[in-house]
Amino acid sequence: MTVGLSNLKHLVVLMMENRSFDHMLGGLSLVMENGQKKYPGVNGLTGNEWNPDTNNSPVKVNPNAKFQSQLDPDPDHHFPGVDLQIFNGAPQGAGRERSMKGFVKDYFTQTNNVNKSHNIMSYFTPDKVPVLSTLATQFALFNGWFSSIPGPTICNRAFAHYGTSFGQVGMDIFDILAPIMSSYERMLAAGKTAKIYYYDQQSSTMEIVNLLKNQPQIFATYDQFISDCAANTLPQYSFIEPCYNDHEGPGGGEILASDQHPDHNVQEGEKFIASIYNAIHGNPAVWDSTALLVVYDEHGGIYDHVAPPDCTPDDYQAKATATNTGAPFNFDYLGVRVPAILISPYIAKGTIVPGTEAGAGARIFEHASIPATVTNFFLNGDAKRTKREAAASTFLDILGNEARQDNDLPFFTLGGH
Amino acid sequence: MASIVIKVPEPEKGSFNHNRPAGKLLQSQTLHLREALIKHLKDIADVLAIDPKSLKTEGEVSTYIQRATAILHTQARKP
Repeated sequence: MTVGLSNLKHLVVLMMENRSFDHMLGGLSLVMENGQKKYPGVNGLTGNEWNPDTNNSPVKVNPNAKFQSQLDPDPDHHFPGVDLQIFNGAPQGAGRERSMKGFVKDYFTQTNNVNKSHNIMSYFTPDKVPVLSTLATQFALFNGWFSSIPGPTICNRAFAHYGTSFGQVGMDIFDILAPIMSSYERMLAAGKTAKIYYYDQQSSTMEIVNLLKNQPQIFATYDQFISDCAANTLPQYSFIEPCYNDHEGPGGGEILASDQHPDHNVQEGEKFIASIYNAIHGNPAVWDSTALLVVYDEHGGIYDHVAPPDCTPDDYQAKATATNTGAPFNFDYLGVRVPAILISPYIAKGTIVPGTEAGAGARIFEHASIPATVTNFFLNGDAKRTKREAAASTFLDILGNEARQDNDLPFFTLGGH
Repeated sequence: MASIVIKVPEPEKGSFNHNRPAGKLLQSQTLHLREALIKHLKDIADVLAIDPKSLKTEGEVSTYIQRATAILHTQARKP
Protein backbone atom coordinates (compact mmCIF):
# COMPACT_ATOMS: atom_id res chain seq x y z
CA MET A 1 0.00 0.00 0.00
CA THR A 2 1.32 3.43 -0.89
CA VAL A 3 1.77 6.24 1.64
CA GLY A 4 -1.02 8.17 -0.06
CA LEU A 5 -3.40 5.28 0.29
CA SER A 6 -2.49 4.52 3.88
CA ASN A 7 -3.03 8.20 4.79
CA LEU A 8 -6.38 8.33 3.00
CA LYS A 9 -9.36 8.87 5.29
CA HIS A 10 -11.82 10.71 3.06
CA LEU A 11 -13.07 10.33 -0.49
CA VAL A 12 -15.01 13.28 -1.91
CA VAL A 13 -16.84 13.02 -5.24
CA LEU A 14 -18.12 16.14 -7.00
CA MET A 15 -20.40 15.32 -9.92
CA MET A 16 -21.09 18.11 -12.39
CA GLU A 17 -23.59 18.09 -15.25
CA ASN A 18 -23.71 17.52 -18.97
CA ARG A 19 -20.41 18.36 -20.63
CA SER A 20 -18.22 16.06 -22.71
CA PHE A 21 -14.49 15.52 -22.31
CA ASP A 22 -13.60 17.14 -25.63
CA HIS A 23 -15.87 20.12 -24.97
CA MET A 24 -14.20 20.95 -21.64
CA LEU A 25 -10.68 19.52 -21.94
CA GLY A 26 -10.12 18.42 -25.55
CA GLY A 27 -8.38 21.74 -26.24
CA LEU A 28 -5.49 20.71 -23.99
CA SER A 29 -4.17 18.57 -26.84
CA LEU A 30 -3.82 21.66 -29.04
CA VAL A 31 -1.66 23.64 -26.63
CA MET A 32 1.86 23.98 -28.03
CA GLU A 33 5.07 24.88 -26.20
CA ASN A 34 8.42 25.25 -27.99
CA GLY A 35 6.95 23.65 -31.09
CA GLN A 36 5.76 20.57 -29.21
CA LYS A 37 2.48 19.49 -27.73
CA LYS A 38 2.50 20.65 -24.11
CA TYR A 39 0.22 17.83 -22.97
CA PRO A 40 0.98 14.94 -25.33
CA GLY A 41 -0.67 12.32 -23.16
CA VAL A 42 -4.12 13.91 -23.22
CA ASN A 43 -6.48 12.17 -25.62
CA GLY A 44 -8.10 15.38 -26.76
CA LEU A 45 -8.69 17.02 -30.11
CA THR A 46 -6.49 17.33 -33.20
CA GLY A 47 -8.70 20.11 -34.55
CA ASN A 48 -9.67 18.00 -37.55
CA GLU A 49 -12.52 16.03 -36.02
CA TRP A 50 -15.78 16.61 -37.84
CA ASN A 51 -19.41 15.63 -38.17
CA PRO A 52 -21.67 16.02 -41.19
CA ASP A 53 -24.56 18.44 -40.82
CA THR A 54 -28.01 17.91 -42.27
CA ASN A 55 -26.78 19.31 -45.61
CA ASN A 56 -24.03 16.68 -45.50
CA SER A 57 -21.40 19.40 -45.17
CA PRO A 58 -18.51 18.60 -42.83
CA VAL A 59 -18.45 20.61 -39.60
CA LYS A 60 -15.13 20.68 -37.78
CA VAL A 61 -14.65 21.11 -34.07
CA ASN A 62 -14.16 24.77 -33.20
CA PRO A 63 -12.74 26.62 -30.16
CA ASN A 64 -15.71 28.93 -29.82
CA ALA A 65 -17.54 27.44 -26.86
CA LYS A 66 -19.34 30.08 -24.84
CA PHE A 67 -20.09 30.21 -21.15
CA GLN A 68 -23.82 30.61 -21.73
CA SER A 69 -26.51 31.16 -24.39
CA GLN A 70 -24.83 28.97 -27.01
CA LEU A 71 -26.42 25.59 -26.27
CA ASP A 72 -29.99 26.76 -25.95
CA PRO A 73 -32.14 24.75 -26.59
CA ASP A 74 -30.60 22.08 -24.43
CA PRO A 75 -28.88 19.48 -26.64
CA ASP A 76 -30.61 16.13 -26.74
CA HIS A 77 -29.10 13.52 -24.47
CA HIS A 78 -31.91 11.03 -24.12
CA PHE A 79 -31.33 7.49 -25.26
CA PRO A 80 -32.49 7.76 -28.91
CA GLY A 81 -30.65 11.05 -29.36
CA VAL A 82 -27.39 9.67 -28.00
CA ASP A 83 -27.87 6.61 -30.22
CA LEU A 84 -27.94 8.93 -33.22
CA GLN A 85 -24.90 10.83 -31.94
CA ILE A 86 -22.84 7.66 -31.53
CA PHE A 87 -24.06 5.57 -34.49
CA ASN A 88 -25.07 8.33 -36.93
CA GLY A 89 -28.28 6.53 -37.86
CA ALA A 90 -26.73 3.15 -38.66
CA PRO A 91 -29.46 0.49 -38.69
CA GLN A 92 -29.99 -1.49 -35.49
CA GLY A 93 -28.24 -4.84 -35.39
CA ALA A 94 -24.85 -6.37 -34.77
CA GLY A 95 -21.67 -4.61 -35.87
CA ARG A 96 -22.92 -1.03 -35.84
CA GLU A 97 -19.97 1.35 -36.05
CA ARG A 98 -19.66 3.80 -33.16
CA SER A 99 -18.56 6.53 -35.55
CA MET A 100 -19.37 9.54 -33.29
CA LYS A 101 -20.61 11.30 -36.42
CA GLY A 102 -24.23 12.09 -35.54
CA PHE A 103 -23.92 14.94 -33.03
CA VAL A 104 -24.64 17.80 -35.44
CA LYS A 105 -27.56 16.02 -37.04
CA ASP A 106 -29.02 15.31 -33.63
CA TYR A 107 -28.66 18.91 -32.47
CA PHE A 108 -30.46 19.99 -35.60
CA THR A 109 -33.49 18.09 -34.32
CA GLN A 110 -33.46 20.53 -31.38
CA THR A 111 -32.57 23.74 -33.15
CA ASN A 112 -34.10 23.34 -36.64
CA ASN A 113 -31.29 25.65 -37.66
CA VAL A 114 -28.30 24.32 -39.58
CA ASN A 115 -25.87 27.00 -38.39
CA LYS A 116 -26.91 26.64 -34.78
CA SER A 117 -26.57 22.86 -34.99
CA HIS A 118 -22.83 23.41 -35.55
CA ASN A 119 -22.49 24.75 -31.98
CA ILE A 120 -22.44 21.18 -30.72
CA MET A 121 -18.87 20.85 -32.09
CA SER A 122 -17.55 23.74 -30.00
CA TYR A 123 -14.93 23.33 -27.29
CA PHE A 124 -13.30 25.52 -24.66
CA THR A 125 -9.69 26.52 -24.94
CA PRO A 126 -7.94 25.84 -21.60
CA ASP A 127 -7.70 29.55 -20.72
CA LYS A 128 -11.51 29.75 -20.74
CA VAL A 129 -11.85 27.03 -18.11
CA PRO A 130 -8.82 27.70 -15.92
CA VAL A 131 -10.03 25.71 -12.93
CA LEU A 132 -10.79 22.47 -14.74
CA SER A 133 -7.79 22.67 -17.06
CA THR A 134 -5.44 23.47 -14.15
CA LEU A 135 -6.71 20.56 -12.10
CA ALA A 136 -6.51 18.28 -15.17
CA THR A 137 -2.88 19.13 -15.80
CA GLN A 138 -1.80 19.34 -12.16
CA PHE A 139 -3.28 16.05 -10.95
CA ALA A 140 -4.61 12.87 -12.61
CA LEU A 141 -6.69 13.16 -15.76
CA PHE A 142 -8.66 10.13 -16.92
CA ASN A 143 -8.54 9.73 -20.69
CA GLY A 144 -11.12 6.97 -20.46
CA TRP A 145 -13.90 7.84 -18.02
CA PHE A 146 -17.29 7.33 -19.68
CA SER A 147 -20.84 7.91 -18.61
CA SER A 148 -22.43 4.61 -17.64
CA ILE A 149 -25.30 4.73 -20.10
CA PRO A 150 -25.69 6.48 -23.48
CA GLY A 151 -28.55 8.44 -21.97
CA PRO A 152 -29.55 11.25 -19.60
CA THR A 153 -28.83 12.34 -16.04
CA ILE A 154 -30.98 10.27 -13.74
CA CYS A 155 -29.95 6.81 -14.90
CA ASN A 156 -26.31 7.84 -15.07
CA ARG A 157 -26.29 9.32 -11.58
CA ALA A 158 -27.94 6.12 -10.32
CA PHE A 159 -24.80 4.26 -11.35
CA ALA A 160 -22.74 6.63 -9.21
CA HIS A 161 -24.77 5.74 -6.14
CA TYR A 162 -25.90 2.14 -6.67
CA GLY A 163 -23.57 0.78 -9.36
CA THR A 164 -26.62 0.21 -11.54
CA SER A 165 -29.73 2.02 -12.75
CA PHE A 166 -31.88 -1.07 -12.14
CA GLY A 167 -32.66 -1.26 -15.86
CA GLN A 168 -33.58 2.40 -16.36
CA VAL A 169 -32.26 4.30 -19.37
CA GLY A 170 -34.23 7.49 -18.80
CA MET A 171 -35.37 10.02 -16.25
CA ASP A 172 -38.19 8.02 -14.67
CA ILE A 173 -38.42 7.21 -11.01
CA PHE A 174 -36.73 3.88 -10.52
CA ASP A 175 -37.34 1.19 -7.96
CA ILE A 176 -34.42 0.17 -5.80
CA LEU A 177 -34.28 -3.59 -6.08
CA ALA A 178 -32.92 -5.59 -3.16
CA PRO A 179 -30.34 -6.63 -2.27
CA ILE A 180 -28.52 -3.68 -3.88
CA MET A 181 -28.06 -0.74 -1.53
CA SER A 182 -26.62 2.68 -2.20
CA SER A 183 -23.02 3.22 -1.23
CA TYR A 184 -24.21 5.52 1.60
CA GLU A 185 -26.44 2.83 3.08
CA ARG A 186 -23.63 0.29 2.75
CA MET A 187 -21.36 2.63 4.69
CA LEU A 188 -23.91 3.32 7.43
CA ALA A 189 -24.71 -0.38 7.81
CA ALA A 190 -21.01 -1.04 8.41
CA GLY A 191 -20.70 1.73 11.00
CA LYS A 192 -18.90 4.06 8.59
CA THR A 193 -19.79 7.65 7.73
CA ALA A 194 -21.12 9.06 4.46
CA LYS A 195 -22.92 12.20 3.37
CA ILE A 196 -24.53 13.74 0.32
CA TYR A 197 -24.01 17.49 0.36
CA TYR A 198 -26.56 19.27 -1.82
CA TYR A 199 -26.24 22.98 -2.44
CA ASP A 200 -29.28 24.29 -0.56
CA GLN A 201 -32.94 23.46 -0.10
CA GLN A 202 -33.95 25.34 -3.26
CA SER A 203 -31.59 23.18 -5.29
CA SER A 204 -31.87 19.98 -3.24
CA THR A 205 -30.77 16.54 -4.31
CA MET A 206 -31.26 15.30 -7.83
CA GLU A 207 -32.22 11.68 -8.07
CA ILE A 208 -32.08 9.70 -4.91
CA VAL A 209 -34.89 11.47 -3.17
CA ASN A 210 -36.00 8.17 -1.67
CA LEU A 211 -32.93 8.50 0.54
CA LEU A 212 -34.02 11.99 1.56
CA LYS A 213 -37.05 10.36 3.12
CA ASN A 214 -35.48 7.18 4.40
CA GLN A 215 -32.01 8.30 5.42
CA PRO A 216 -32.27 12.05 6.14
CA GLN A 217 -29.20 11.92 8.35
CA ILE A 218 -26.93 11.41 5.36
CA PHE A 219 -27.87 14.75 3.81
CA ALA A 220 -26.29 18.11 4.45
CA THR A 221 -25.73 21.31 2.51
CA TYR A 222 -22.76 22.90 0.76
CA ASP A 223 -22.28 25.30 3.69
CA GLN A 224 -21.94 22.31 5.99
CA PHE A 225 -19.33 20.80 3.65
CA ILE A 226 -17.27 23.97 3.91
CA SER A 227 -17.61 23.88 7.71
CA ASP A 228 -16.76 20.18 7.85
CA CYS A 229 -13.57 20.79 5.87
CA ALA A 230 -12.56 23.63 8.16
CA ALA A 231 -13.25 21.57 11.29
CA ASN A 232 -11.77 18.35 9.88
CA THR A 233 -15.07 16.58 10.44
CA LEU A 234 -15.66 15.27 6.92
CA PRO A 235 -17.28 11.86 6.73
CA GLN A 236 -15.31 9.06 5.14
CA TYR A 237 -17.29 9.33 1.92
CA SER A 238 -18.86 12.54 0.61
CA PHE A 239 -20.81 13.18 -2.57
CA ILE A 240 -21.35 16.81 -3.56
CA GLU A 241 -24.13 18.14 -5.74
CA PRO A 242 -23.80 21.57 -7.36
CA CYS A 243 -26.60 24.13 -7.50
CA TYR A 244 -29.07 23.03 -10.18
CA ASN A 245 -31.05 26.22 -10.75
CA ASP A 246 -30.87 30.01 -10.59
CA HIS A 247 -32.70 31.24 -7.51
CA GLU A 248 -32.75 34.02 -4.98
CA GLY A 249 -30.66 33.62 -1.86
CA PRO A 250 -31.94 33.95 1.70
CA GLY A 251 -31.18 37.67 1.70
CA GLY A 252 -32.59 38.20 -1.77
CA GLY A 253 -29.26 37.94 -3.63
CA GLU A 254 -28.69 36.05 -6.86
CA ILE A 255 -27.56 32.42 -6.64
CA LEU A 256 -26.57 31.05 -10.02
CA ALA A 257 -26.78 27.40 -10.99
CA SER A 258 -23.28 25.97 -10.75
CA ASP A 259 -23.90 22.57 -12.33
CA GLN A 260 -22.76 23.69 -15.84
CA HIS A 261 -25.82 22.02 -17.38
CA PRO A 262 -26.59 23.96 -20.57
CA ASP A 263 -27.69 26.76 -20.50
CA HIS A 264 -26.25 27.44 -17.05
CA ASN A 265 -23.14 29.53 -16.75
CA VAL A 266 -19.93 27.52 -17.07
CA GLN A 267 -17.91 30.08 -15.12
CA GLU A 268 -20.18 29.69 -12.10
CA GLY A 269 -19.40 25.99 -12.21
CA GLU A 270 -15.70 26.78 -12.37
CA LYS A 271 -16.10 28.86 -9.21
CA PHE A 272 -17.92 26.01 -7.52
CA ILE A 273 -15.26 23.44 -8.38
CA ALA A 274 -12.58 25.86 -7.16
CA SER A 275 -14.44 26.40 -3.89
CA ILE A 276 -14.55 22.66 -3.21
CA TYR A 277 -10.83 22.31 -3.97
CA ASN A 278 -9.99 25.34 -1.82
CA ALA A 279 -12.06 24.04 1.12
CA ILE A 280 -10.16 20.74 1.10
CA HIS A 281 -6.79 22.29 0.39
CA GLY A 282 -7.35 24.98 3.01
CA ASN A 283 -7.06 22.57 5.92
CA PRO A 284 -3.71 20.73 5.84
CA ALA A 285 -5.06 17.80 7.85
CA VAL A 286 -7.96 17.36 5.42
CA TRP A 287 -5.80 17.91 2.36
CA ASP A 288 -3.33 15.24 3.38
CA SER A 289 -6.04 12.65 4.04
CA THR A 290 -8.52 13.32 1.20
CA ALA A 291 -8.90 12.37 -2.44
CA LEU A 292 -11.26 14.49 -4.54
CA LEU A 293 -12.80 13.15 -7.75
CA VAL A 294 -14.34 15.75 -10.09
CA VAL A 295 -16.48 14.05 -12.72
CA TYR A 296 -19.44 14.83 -15.00
CA ASP A 297 -22.59 12.72 -15.09
CA GLU A 298 -22.89 12.58 -18.87
CA HIS A 299 -21.92 14.50 -21.99
CA GLY A 300 -25.15 16.44 -22.38
CA GLY A 301 -25.36 15.74 -26.12
CA ILE A 302 -22.09 17.60 -26.80
CA TYR A 303 -19.45 16.20 -29.15
CA ASP A 304 -16.68 13.85 -28.09
CA HIS A 305 -14.49 11.94 -30.52
CA VAL A 306 -13.85 8.73 -28.55
CA ALA A 307 -16.16 5.80 -29.28
CA PRO A 308 -17.59 4.33 -26.06
CA PRO A 309 -16.17 0.87 -25.39
CA ASP A 310 -17.99 -2.32 -24.45
CA CYS A 311 -18.47 -3.07 -20.78
CA THR A 312 -19.54 -5.93 -18.55
CA PRO A 313 -23.30 -6.18 -19.04
CA ASP A 314 -25.47 -5.11 -16.17
CA ASP A 315 -27.95 -7.60 -14.78
CA TYR A 316 -30.77 -5.85 -16.59
CA GLN A 317 -32.19 -5.23 -20.06
CA ALA A 318 -34.09 -2.14 -21.17
CA LYS A 319 -36.83 -3.07 -23.62
CA ALA A 320 -37.20 -1.43 -27.03
CA THR A 321 -40.22 0.42 -25.69
CA ALA A 322 -37.96 2.03 -23.10
CA THR A 323 -35.03 2.86 -25.37
CA ASN A 324 -37.25 4.24 -28.16
CA THR A 325 -34.68 3.11 -30.71
CA GLY A 326 -36.53 0.02 -31.89
CA ALA A 327 -34.04 -2.23 -30.13
CA PRO A 328 -33.49 -3.29 -26.52
CA PHE A 329 -30.38 -2.26 -24.63
CA ASN A 330 -28.36 -4.80 -22.68
CA PHE A 331 -26.15 -2.33 -20.81
CA ASP A 332 -23.19 -3.81 -22.65
CA TYR A 333 -21.51 -0.60 -23.85
CA LEU A 334 -20.88 2.69 -22.14
CA GLY A 335 -22.10 6.21 -22.77
CA VAL A 336 -20.09 9.13 -24.14
CA ARG A 337 -16.81 10.14 -22.49
CA VAL A 338 -16.83 12.80 -19.77
CA PRO A 339 -14.19 14.81 -17.89
CA ALA A 340 -12.84 13.13 -14.77
CA ILE A 341 -9.97 14.28 -12.57
CA LEU A 342 -8.60 12.75 -9.37
CA ILE A 343 -6.95 15.20 -6.97
CA SER A 344 -4.71 14.44 -4.00
CA PRO A 345 -1.33 15.64 -2.76
CA TYR A 346 -0.11 12.12 -3.47
CA ILE A 347 -0.70 12.39 -7.22
CA ALA A 348 2.17 13.47 -9.42
CA LYS A 349 1.69 16.56 -11.57
CA GLY A 350 0.55 15.72 -15.08
CA THR A 351 -0.60 12.17 -14.38
CA ILE A 352 -2.58 10.72 -17.28
CA VAL A 353 -4.66 7.61 -16.79
CA PRO A 354 -4.71 5.99 -20.24
CA GLY A 355 -7.99 5.34 -22.02
CA THR A 356 -8.98 3.53 -25.18
CA GLU A 357 -6.10 5.12 -27.12
CA ALA A 358 -3.76 2.85 -25.13
CA GLY A 359 -5.24 -0.35 -26.55
CA ALA A 360 -4.42 -3.22 -24.21
CA GLY A 361 -3.05 -0.73 -21.68
CA ALA A 362 -6.35 1.10 -21.37
CA ARG A 363 -7.96 1.67 -18.01
CA ILE A 364 -11.66 2.24 -18.53
CA PHE A 365 -13.78 3.89 -15.86
CA GLU A 366 -17.47 4.69 -15.57
CA HIS A 367 -19.74 5.79 -12.76
CA ALA A 368 -20.03 2.28 -11.29
CA SER A 369 -16.34 2.80 -10.51
CA ILE A 370 -17.45 5.19 -7.73
CA PRO A 371 -19.42 2.76 -5.52
CA ALA A 372 -16.92 0.07 -6.45
CA THR A 373 -14.08 2.22 -5.11
CA VAL A 374 -15.99 3.24 -1.98
CA THR A 375 -16.93 -0.36 -1.26
CA ASN A 376 -13.49 -1.78 -1.92
CA PHE A 377 -11.61 0.85 0.07
CA PHE A 378 -13.88 1.44 3.06
CA LEU A 379 -15.70 -1.89 3.24
CA ASN A 380 -13.14 -4.34 1.89
CA GLY A 381 -15.54 -5.12 -0.95
CA ASP A 382 -18.15 -6.46 1.44
CA ALA A 383 -21.49 -5.61 -0.19
CA LYS A 384 -24.03 -7.12 -2.52
CA ARG A 385 -23.50 -5.55 -5.91
CA THR A 386 -24.27 -6.02 -9.55
CA LYS A 387 -21.92 -7.80 -11.95
CA ARG A 388 -21.36 -4.43 -13.54
CA GLU A 389 -20.12 -2.80 -10.34
CA ALA A 390 -18.09 -5.85 -9.36
CA ALA A 391 -16.27 -5.58 -12.69
CA ALA A 392 -15.80 -1.81 -12.58
CA SER A 393 -12.28 -0.40 -12.31
CA THR A 394 -11.35 1.37 -9.08
CA PHE A 395 -9.09 4.38 -8.96
CA LEU A 396 -7.37 4.91 -5.62
CA ASP A 397 -4.26 3.01 -6.70
CA ILE A 398 -3.32 6.24 -8.51
CA LEU A 399 -2.25 7.73 -5.17
CA GLY A 400 1.50 7.40 -4.76
CA ASN A 401 4.09 7.69 -2.01
CA GLU A 402 5.30 11.27 -2.32
CA ALA A 403 3.26 14.15 -0.92
CA ARG A 404 3.65 17.26 -3.05
CA GLN A 405 4.72 20.43 -1.29
CA ASP A 406 2.33 23.35 -1.04
CA ASN A 407 4.45 25.54 -3.31
CA ASP A 408 3.94 22.96 -6.05
CA LEU A 409 0.15 23.10 -5.86
CA PRO A 410 -2.47 25.32 -7.44
CA PHE A 411 -4.65 27.65 -5.43
CA PHE A 412 -7.70 29.45 -6.74
CA THR A 413 -8.71 33.00 -5.89
CA LEU A 414 -12.37 33.60 -6.50
CA GLY A 415 -13.90 36.75 -7.90
CA GLY A 416 -11.08 37.85 -10.21
CA HIS A 417 -11.62 39.29 -13.68
CA MET B 1 1.48 30.09 0.11
CA ALA B 2 0.86 28.09 -3.01
CA SER B 3 2.96 29.10 -5.97
CA ILE B 4 0.38 28.53 -8.70
CA VAL B 5 -2.35 31.08 -8.15
CA ILE B 6 -5.25 30.98 -10.56
CA LYS B 7 -7.74 33.83 -10.58
CA VAL B 8 -11.22 32.46 -11.25
CA PRO B 9 -13.36 34.92 -13.20
CA GLU B 10 -16.88 35.88 -12.19
CA PRO B 11 -19.73 35.23 -14.63
CA GLU B 12 -20.87 38.30 -16.50
CA LYS B 13 -23.40 40.51 -14.79
CA GLY B 14 -26.86 39.58 -16.05
CA SER B 15 -26.12 35.83 -16.10
CA PHE B 16 -28.72 35.24 -13.41
CA ASN B 17 -32.07 34.31 -14.91
CA HIS B 18 -34.57 32.67 -12.65
CA ASN B 19 -37.18 33.16 -15.37
CA ARG B 20 -35.32 30.71 -17.62
CA PRO B 21 -37.72 27.90 -18.61
CA ALA B 22 -37.06 24.85 -16.45
CA GLY B 23 -35.54 22.03 -18.48
CA LYS B 24 -36.37 18.33 -18.42
CA LEU B 25 -33.89 17.64 -15.65
CA LEU B 26 -35.41 20.11 -13.22
CA GLN B 27 -38.93 19.02 -14.13
CA SER B 28 -37.89 15.44 -13.49
CA GLN B 29 -36.45 16.47 -10.12
CA THR B 30 -39.83 17.86 -9.05
CA LEU B 31 -41.53 14.58 -10.04
CA HIS B 32 -39.03 12.57 -8.01
CA LEU B 33 -39.53 14.81 -4.98
CA ARG B 34 -43.30 14.59 -5.37
CA GLU B 35 -43.09 10.79 -5.44
CA ALA B 36 -41.04 10.82 -2.25
CA LEU B 37 -43.61 13.12 -0.63
CA ILE B 38 -46.44 10.78 -1.63
CA LYS B 39 -44.65 7.84 -0.04
CA HIS B 40 -43.99 9.97 3.01
CA LEU B 41 -47.64 10.99 3.31
CA LYS B 42 -48.68 7.37 2.90
CA ASP B 43 -46.50 6.46 5.86
CA ILE B 44 -48.21 9.17 7.89
CA ALA B 45 -51.66 8.09 6.72
CA ASP B 46 -50.90 4.48 7.63
CA VAL B 47 -50.00 5.48 11.17
CA LEU B 48 -52.98 7.83 11.50
CA ALA B 49 -55.28 5.02 10.39
CA ILE B 50 -54.42 3.12 13.55
CA ASP B 51 -56.69 3.88 16.47
CA PRO B 52 -54.40 4.20 19.53
CA LYS B 53 -57.20 2.86 21.69
CA SER B 54 -56.92 -0.42 19.81
CA LEU B 55 -53.33 -0.95 21.01
CA LYS B 56 -53.35 -3.34 23.94
CA THR B 57 -49.87 -4.68 24.47
CA GLU B 58 -46.54 -2.97 25.11
CA GLY B 59 -45.32 -4.50 21.88
CA GLU B 60 -48.17 -2.95 19.88
CA VAL B 61 -47.73 0.38 21.60
CA SER B 62 -43.98 0.42 21.09
CA THR B 63 -44.40 -0.28 17.36
CA TYR B 64 -46.85 2.60 17.08
CA ILE B 65 -44.57 4.91 19.02
CA GLN B 66 -41.60 3.96 16.88
CA ARG B 67 -43.46 4.68 13.62
CA ALA B 68 -44.87 7.99 14.88
CA THR B 69 -41.54 9.09 16.29
CA ALA B 70 -39.69 8.20 13.11
CA ILE B 71 -42.07 10.41 11.12
CA LEU B 72 -41.98 13.31 13.56
CA HIS B 73 -38.23 13.08 13.98
CA THR B 74 -37.74 13.29 10.22
CA GLN B 75 -40.08 16.27 10.04
CA ALA B 76 -38.17 18.02 12.77
CA ARG B 77 -34.81 17.55 11.12
CA LYS B 78 -33.21 20.30 9.11
CA PRO B 79 -31.39 18.77 6.16
